[in-house]
Amino acid sequence: MKPIVDVLCLATSLACAFLLLRSFRRNGVRLLMWAGLCFALFALGNVVLLIDEFVYADSDLSTWRKIPMVLGVLLLVHGLVAEGE
Amino acid sequence: MTPLPLNAFLQGFLCMGQLVIALFFARFLRKTRDRLFLLFALAFLILSLTQVGFLVIGFSSERSVFVYLARLCAYALIFVAIVDKNRR
Repeated sequence: MKPIVDVLCLATSLACAFLLLRSFRRNGVRLLMWAGLCFALFALGNVVLLIDEFVYADSDLSTWRKIPMVLGVLLLVHGLVAEGE
Repeated sequence: MTPLPLNAFLQGFLCMGQLVIALFFARFLRKTRDRLFLLFALAFLILSLTQVGFLVIGFSSERSVFVYLARLCAYALIFVAIVDKNRR
């Protein structure tokens, strides 16, 4: 079950990134761009998670899979502070 | 001074960062009453709580699949929020 959940997490985060960035392109609301980039980085973190669990199962990439998510959170917090009004 | 393990630091950072994002969206919800912000706030609150879940359950535990399921629910909430907003 876990592989399915991991793949679904990747798919939904990619879908969210796509929808948010598409909305930004249509509306020009910059907060959508920051949110889209955040979810793109969340998707990258999910990719690293899948690599960690199923490709390089003997190694520990737990730090590497958190780093894209941290960057995503930083970008979105920046966007909320800068564009929130 | 014992160096703080990097993983624990990043996990705490994620928990706090996602909570802050949830609070921002909660503030937008209070101003606009738009359910998009309600769903976003809920989603990021869930994501923040998943970090606590990993702390309690552990990443390698068999029960960690439930925490990943919660993360999936959060992403699904965001997806539903965007689709719902685009339809309005």
